[in-house]
Amino acid sequence: MVTAIRYHVSVAYCFARLAVQRQLEYPLFLVSWLLMIPLQYLSGVWVLKLMVEQFQPLAGWSFPELSFLYGLGLLSHGLSVIFFIQTWQIDHMVIRGEFDRMLLRPMNVFFQFVVNYVNFIGIIDLIPGFIIFFYGCARVGFDWTFINTLKLALVVIGGMFIRASICTIMGSAAFWTKRSGSLISLTLATMERTTMYPLSVYPRVIQLALTFLLPIGFISFYPATEFIGQDDGFTLPVGLAIWTPVVGIVTFAAAHLIFKYGLKRYESAGS
Amino acid sequence: MSAYYYFFKMRILTTLAYRFEVFTAVASNAVMLLATVFLWKAAYRGIGSVEEVSQHQMIVYAILSVVMGAVLSVSVQDEMYYRVREGNIATDFIKPVHLLGMFLAEDLGNTVSALVNRAVPLILLSSVLFTPPLPASFAALLLFIPSLMLSFLLLWLMGAIVGMIAFWVLELGNLGIVKDAIVRILSGSMIPIWFFPDWMGTVSAFLPFQYMYQTPLSIYIGVISYSQAGIALVVQAVWIAVLALIAYAVWQRAKRVTLIQGG
Repeated sequence: MVTAIRYHVSVAYCFARLAVQRQLEYPLFLVSWLLMIPLQYLSGVWVLKLMVEQFQPLAGWSFPELSFLYGLGLLSHGLSVIFFIQTWQIDHMVIRGEFDRMLLRPMNVFFQFVVNYVNFIGIIDLIPGFIIFFYGCARVGFDWTFINTLKLALVVIGGMFIRASICTIMGSAAFWTKRSGSLISLTLATMERTTMYPLSVYPRVIQLALTFLLPIGFISFYPATEFIGQDDGFTLPVGLAIWTPVVGIVTFAAAHLIFKYGLKRYESAGS
Repeated sequence: MSAYYYFFKMRILTTLAYRFEVFTAVASNAVMLLATVFLWKAAYRGIGSVEEVSQHQMIVYAILSVVMGAVLSVSVQDEMYYRVREGNIATDFIKPVHLLGMFLAEDLGNTVSALVNRAVPLILLSSVLFTPPLPASFAALLLFIPSLMLSFLLLWLMGAIVGMIAFWVLELGNLGIVKDAIVRILSGSMIPIWFFPDWMGTVSAFLPFQYMYQTPLSIYIGVISYSQAGIALVVQAVWIAVLALIAYAVWQRAKRVTLIQGG
């Protein structure tokens, strides 16, 4: 058992080192991302500020609370960009026959797929996430107790797994259709628009769909309501926040199953 | 001319070839539409009008802004960047057409096909779910159409200029995405400039961005008078002239610095 874990970790480490080295080959390339990503998210949260100032708290959420929510969503987004960006590109891997190599190795293909790339550049996504989230924390008076910090870590990691699982499931469509790129853009657009605003601005039907059909609500909205103490009329036993890692594990298991099932349909690339 | 017509027609055909892609692209826009409109509804909950703009006007503005974003997708900057990076630009220069003309014809093709397969479903969807996005008056519609065309040219020229930067700074990555982020904010496509702090409104009046989205949209929902709309059209035309001159000058230089990758 221990040797198996140690072996898997060493493989993952090797992949990660290669991926980072590959990206550092062109350091100047980072510049456009370094400009664009913070600009995009800081302006996104600034728009919320303008709206709250000109109008009223959005669905009962003040600007500090909105930044807490926005930042929380952005943190798990940043982590999934670092560790799981390959889940966005399953269709490329199918078309280019990249699973051939993994199938030949004596190791679980899903594990290889998950650890095969570390997108070092994703750290840039975390920068605005940290700024917005800590601003929100300070303004809403987030209590940094040990329990809260632990919960927060679990929520962010759980959120990362939910995001990665949804993308894996959508991306796996490529095993059948060969194309899933636009489906992934649709998923990413949906996740962006639903994790950064309170779900309560949407009608009940959409809220329910985003809780039970696609569990996006657990990425940031439900945990944020618990941390802030917002009342949105939706309660679950043992608190909302703790459900995020649970949902994360369940969706990840589902993603693993669907991926495995899809891989049977994989027919490699024609030459 | 027939060569450019060919590029135009081919682009329409290729965009229609992938039906599933068309469907999911519309679905992405629909998500955007729902999210934006519900956000504005939450903002206006229980409030009649802000800055003399009613909820209905703002919702029509938001719907049309998403539709415009879906229709006026110019790919010139990405095309140019890609071709310079991959070295295809060398063979492009041999073609007996003006390259910028070719890119323009292709983007017009994109836009015309998007009018049918993106604008129509989005307008139908918003009519069913929210409200039919009707113009403030017939005259407003008549002024909106030329303004929209000028917006397309503005967006296209901006894209072409930024795309040409690729000739000099290959390794800087795609600056087009940075430009897109700036356009999204300063054009009023996310939130109209009249909700911005005053100083930003003043700065923005001297930049070309607000004439890309906000001008046609405010004409459409009737927040500016006809005479103001006339002036706005002239300003749009002036900016087009300025950007066209810049694009021409940059293009002349770009041709000389073309770097062909060895192979």
